[in-house]
Amino acid sequence: MRVALKIWRVGADGRALREYEVDAPEQATLLDVLDLVKDRCDGTLAYRKSCRMMICGSCGMRMDGAAVLACGVRMRDLVAAGRVPVISAMGNLPVVKDLVVDMEPFWAKYRAVNPHLQPAGGAAADGREPEVAPERLSAIHKESLCINCGACVSECDAMSSDPDFLGPQALAKAMRFVGDPRDGARRARLEAVNGKNGIWQCTRCYFCNERCPKGVDPRDAIAKLGAESIAEGIDRDPGARHARWFVRSAVTTGWLREAELVPRTQGLAASLRQVRFAARLARAGKLPPPLPPHAAERVVEARRLRDLLAGQGREGYRGIVQGERALGRIVRGHVEALDRDPYGPGSFPRPWLPGARAGAEEAEETAGGGR
Amino acid sequence: MKRVAYYKGCLASLSAKELDTSTKALAPKVGLELVELEAVTCCGAGDIHEAEPDFALHLNARILSYASATGADTLLTVCNVCTLNLRQANWQLVGDAALRARVNENLVAVGVPAYERDVDVRHLLWEVAEGDGYERLKAAAHRGLKGLRVAPFYGCQILRPSRLLGFEDPDRPASLERIIAACGGEAVDYPAKLRCCGFPIVSAREETALGELVQPIEQAVEAGADAMVTPCPLCHLSLDAWQTKLKETTGRDFRMPVLHLSQLIGVAAGLRESELRFRRHLVDVQPVVERLEG
Amino acid sequence: MLVVGAGCAGMRAAIEAFDAGADVALLSKLHPTRSHSGAAEGGISAALGNASEDDPAAHAFDTVKGSDYLGDQDAIEILCGEGPAEVYRLERWGAVFSRDERGRIAQRPFGGAGRPRTAYAADITGHVLVQTLYEQVVKRGIRVYEEYFAWKLVEDGGRCVGVVAWDLLRGGLVGISAKAVVLATGGLGRLYAGSTNAYACTGEGMAMALHAGVPLKDMEMVQFHPTTLAGTGILISEACRGEGGFLVNRDGERFLARYAPEAMELASRDVIARAVQTEIDEGRGLDGNVLLDLRHLGAERILERLHGTRELAITFAGVDPIFEPIPVRPGAHYQMGGIDTDVHGRTALEGLYAAGEAACVSVHGANRLGGNALLETLVFGRRAGADAAESARRARGGDVPEAAVRDADAELRALLGRSEGERPWRLREELAESMRENVGVFRREEQMERELEIVEELRDRYRRVVVEDKGDVFNTDLTQALELGALIELARCVVVAALARRESRGAHARPHDYPERDDAGYLRHTLVTLAGDAPEVDWKPVTITRWQPAVRAY
Repeated sequence: MRVALKIWRVGADGRALREYEVDAPEQATLLDVLDLVKDRCDGTLAYRKSCRMMICGSCGMRMDGAAVLACGVRMRDLVAAGRVPVISAMGNLPVVKDLVVDMEPFWAKYRAVNPHLQPAGGAAADGREPEVAPERLSAIHKESLCINCGACVSECDAMSSDPDFLGPQALAKAMRFVGDPRDGARRARLEAVNGKNGIWQCTRCYFCNERCPKGVDPRDAIAKLGAESIAEGIDRDPGARHARWFVRSAVTTGWLREAELVPRTQGLAASLRQVRFAARLARAGKLPPPLPPHAAERVVEARRLRDLLAGQGREGYRGIVQGERALGRIVRGHVEALDRDPYGPGSFPRPWLPGARAGAEEAEETAGGGR
Repeated sequence: MKRVAYYKGCLASLSAKELDTSTKALAPKVGLELVELEAVTCCGAGDIHEAEPDFALHLNARILSYASATGADTLLTVCNVCTLNLRQANWQLVGDAALRARVNENLVAVGVPAYERDVDVRHLLWEVAEGDGYERLKAAAHRGLKGLRVAPFYGCQILRPSRLLGFEDPDRPASLERIIAACGGEAVDYPAKLRCCGFPIVSAREETALGELVQPIEQAVEAGADAMVTPCPLCHLSLDAWQTKLKETTGRDFRMPVLHLSQLIGVAAGLRESELRFRRHLVDVQPVVERLEG
Repeated sequence: MLVVGAGCAGMRAAIEAFDAGADVALLSKLHPTRSHSGAAEGGISAALGNASEDDPAAHAFDTVKGSDYLGDQDAIEILCGEGPAEVYRLERWGAVFSRDERGRIAQRPFGGAGRPRTAYAADITGHVLVQTLYEQVVKRGIRVYEEYFAWKLVEDGGRCVGVVAWDLLRGGLVGISAKAVVLATGGLGRLYAGSTNAYACTGEGMAMALHAGVPLKDMEMVQFHPTTLAGTGILISEACRGEGGFLVNRDGERFLARYAPEAMELASRDVIARAVQTEIDEGRGLDGNVLLDLRHLGAERILERLHGTRELAITFAGVDPIFEPIPVRPGAHYQMGGIDTDVHGRTALEGLYAAGEAACVSVHGANRLGGNALLETLVFGRRAGADAAESARRARGGDVPEAAVRDADAELRALLGRSEGERPWRLREELAESMRENVGVFRREEQMERELEIVEELRDRYRRVVVEDKGDVFNTDLTQALELGALIELARCVVVAALARRESRGAHARPHDYPERDDAGYLRHTLVTLAGDAPEVDWKPVTITRWQPAVRAY
C-alpha cells in the first residue's frame, strides 16, 4: 500500500514539515514506514528504535499530536481512512534532532524517586527468598509493566504547565515500590511524593492512562499514592486537605460543602488573600452560604458505609487494586466477552494426537513436564 | 419520552445551579423525562477516589443502586467527572461478581437496596449527539444559533480513559461539533480543545492550573470564537470564574463567554433567562444573547 | 574498567565490579533498559526446588543433554550450581517474580527440562530483570556512556587497553581507555531474516573481538526458536508451551508425537524447530506456519500468565489466543556460539573479557535450553565482572593511543566521504534473506557454499556503500552502516564454521549429507580466527566431567 506521512524535521537550522510517500507492506507499522523513509528517501531522518515489539520503549514519538510507540501502530487502517499522519517528537522533552528527544530530564525524575528496592528485613538465614503472597506482588503488577517509553510524560498537561512536576512515569515507579511488600522505605517514599511537585500537582487529565502502551495507568498509581499517603496520615498538602474535605462533606451533608472548600484546602490565611475573587463568586451566586447546609437525603447511610468499611481490609491503595480485575477486561466501552466457546462453529478443530484421533479428550492432557 | 434517573452532582446543585435549571427545562424538549435522585451523595470526584477509594466505590454503588431502583435503564449525568466516576464504579461491579457481592452486602447492611439490575451511565452529551436524542435536538433547536461561532471544550473526563467511557474517539471526538452544527452554530477548532482546564488542582496548585487554563481560552479568542461550550461544570467554573483571575496573571481581559452544554442547546431551543440563568456567570454572556436576538 | 553492552550480562558485570571496588563504567549504543535482554519472556532456570525436588546436578544434566553434548561440562556445572544464588540475589534486589501459593518463587516447566525449574515474572521476565538491574546500576551511581557506539577494540602491548567509540548524541569518535574491557554486546540475530531479535542485535562485540585476534567459538550454532510470528519474526514465548500449549499442523494434529513422543512440546528447541520446519516443508503447514494452540488453557490462565503473549498475538498477528491458535514458524533467535572465553569470562587477549550471549564459554553447546540464557547473563556476567575488576586492579594499564582514534577516524571519513554508492539496506536485506535460505534450520553443502559466495560479493559491495547523513547529531545512518559491516564479517564466520562441521548436532542440522551426530570426529568446538583477511577454522576439545555423550532423544 502507498503510505504518505508528514514529519516535523528538527535540526540546527530550525523546524520544517516534510512530506514523504513510500510503498509499504499491508502489515507495516509506523516504524516500518519510517525505516522505509530513512532507507529509501532520506537517510538523515533521526529516530530511536530497537525491539520493534513494544518492550524496549525506544520508539516513542507523536502521531497527530498524541504520543505512541511507532512499532505498535499499524498503518493499514489509517491509510484506508485516507489519513496523512503528522509525526513529531514527543512533548515535554527537549528535541535533539527530528524525532529524537533528550531523555535526561525524564531519567532525572526517575532517579528522584529512589527507584530501587530498600529491603525491609535482612536476607533470610538460608539465603532463600522471603515468602510473599502472590496477591501482594500482583498488586503492583501494572506499575511494574512500565518500559520507560515516555508517552505518558509527553502528554502530561500538568507537566506542560510546570516542567518540574515529577510526572506520571516517576510517580508510577514510586508506587511500584510503595506497594512492594518487601520494601522498608514506604513512609519515606510517601513523604517524598507529597512535595510541591508530587502527586497533588497531578491535574487528572488522564492523558497518561490513555497514551500508555503497556496499561500501566499512571494516573491510578498516583491515586494509589494519594490513598496511601492519607491512610498514613501524610495529609498536610492542600491537595490532601482538599480531598479529605470531600470525604467530610460526603458523610455530613452528602453534597460537597463548596463554600468551605477553599479555606479548608488552603487555610484561612491563604483564603483571606482570595477575598476579592470570593466576592466576585458570591455576587454571581457561586458561593453558596454554608448555612443552611444543603444536605441530601439519608446521608446517614453514607456515614454508616464509611464506618462499616474500616477494617474490611481494603484501605488505601487496596481500594483501587480491588477493581483492577474487572477494569482490565474493558475494551473501548464494553466488557471483553471472554467466555464464548473457543471451539464453537467455524473455529479451528481441537488438537488430536496421532493414533488417538477418536479420543479428543486424550489430546487435551497438558503437555511436557506435566504430561 | 425516555425516562432516565437524573444525577445532577454537586456543582449543578450549588454553584452551577444554572446547569440544573437549564437541563430540567431542556429535557422534555429532547425527549427526556428526568427522575431526580434525592438520596445520593457527591460521587467523590477525583478526590474521594484518591483519599478513600473503597469508600468512593461504595458511594457510587449507592448512587447506581438508587438509580436502578427508579426502574429507569439510564442514569443521566451532566458532569464529566460524575460520568467517569459512576461508569468506572459500574464497570467494576458489573465485571466482578465477587466484588459486587461484597459491595452489595455492605450497601444492604446500611439500609441501601442492593445494586442488582444494571443501569447504563450516560452523559446528556451522548443522549443528544446521536440517534433519537439527536433528531429531537434538531427539531427543538428551532431558534437556532444564527451562525454563532462556538469553540467546543470537551473536558478530560468525558473522553479519557476512552476504554471506560467508550462513546467516541478521544483524539478525534465530534459530538460537540455535531450539536453546535445542529443548533445552527459554527464550530471553531483550536489545538487545546481536548486538553485540561486545570480545575482539579486550581485550589492546591493554582499557578499550574492557570498555566493550563490560559491555553484553551487564549486559543478560542485567537480562533475568533464568540463563545465556548463545555459539558462539564468543573471546566465551566474554571473557564468562566477563573477566567477572571487570568486578568491578574496575564494582564489580558479575554471576555470569552462560556456556556454549559444545556444552555447552548437551550438558547437555541428558546429557553428563557429564568431557565438559562446566564446572569450567574462571571464572564458576561450578554454579547451572545444580543447577537442571537439581533 | 569498561563494560561494553548494558543488557543483563553487562549490567550484572558492572554491578559486581563496582561492588568489588573497581572504577567501572558501562557503555552502550542504547539506553540500558532498551537492551534486548528486556525482550526475554519465558523465564530464568535455576534449581530452586520450589515446584519439585530438584538439584543443580539434574539441571546440569538437562543442560548437557540439551547442548547435544557439545557444552563444556565444567562451565555447565558452574552455571547450574551458582544459579540459585543469582536468582535469590535478583529477588532481593526487587525482581518481581511470580509466586506460587506458598509465596515462594514460582517455577514452570520448560523445554528440555526434566523438572519445572524456570522461574518467571508472568511472561515478561527479561523486562523485569532489566528493570531491576538498571535500578541497581542507578542506585550505585555507576557511570554510563549512554548512546555510544563501540566500534573498535584497541590493543597495545599485547593487552586490551580500551575502545574507540562513536558518540551518537554529539558525534565524533572518542577513545575510552580501560585496564579491562568486558564485551557483553549480545547476539547477532539480525544476520537472519525473520529473526526474533531487535534491530540492535548486530554482533559488533563479536566482530571487534575477531578483529583483535580473539577466536569465535561454535559460530555455526545458531538457535532457531520454533515459535515466531510470520513476517516480523516477533517471539512467541516458550512459556506458552511451558504452561501447556500445543503445537499442531494444519489438520490439528499434535505432530510432535512423531518427533519427540516423550517430551512433546517441551522437547529441546532444535528438535522442535526441525519438526515444525519439516511439517511446513512437507505441506502440512498453514501459509507457511504451524499453529500454537492455547485455547484449552482458558482465559484466566492466559490473562494471568501469558498476558504479554496475548497482547503480541493480537497486535502483531491479529489473533486472540483465547479463541484462535497463533500461527508460528521458526526464526533465528540466539547465538550459542560467540567470543571464546573460559569460565571466568577471560578471552585470549589479556584484559579482554566477554559474557552473556556475546560469549561462548560454552554452556549451551549446540543448543540452548530456554531459561538458561538469562541465567548465563547473571552467573557469567558476575564472574566476568569480578575477574575483570581484579585484572584491572593488578594491571599497569595503558591508554588508547591517539593513533588508534586517528586511524579509526580516517576510516570513518572515507565512508562518510562517499557521495555515491549503494544504500546499505539492500545489502542488509540480501544478506538476511540469503542466510535464512542457505544457513537456516536445515543446511546443505551446496547452499552453504553458495552463501559464502554471496557473502564475498556483499563484502565487496560493502566497500562502496553510501551514508546519506553526514551530520554529527544522532547519525544512525552511519552506525547502521557500521553494524552492517560487522554482520557481513560474522556471516563469513558462521558459514565457514557450518561447512567445517561435518555432522548434525544440536541446532546444526545437515540431514542430506551428514545426518548423524559424529562424536568420534566432532565432539569438539569450532574456532574461527582471521588469518589475514580470511576466516580460518580450528578446533578445541569439549570438557567432559560427569556425563559421557549418549543418544539424545526427547
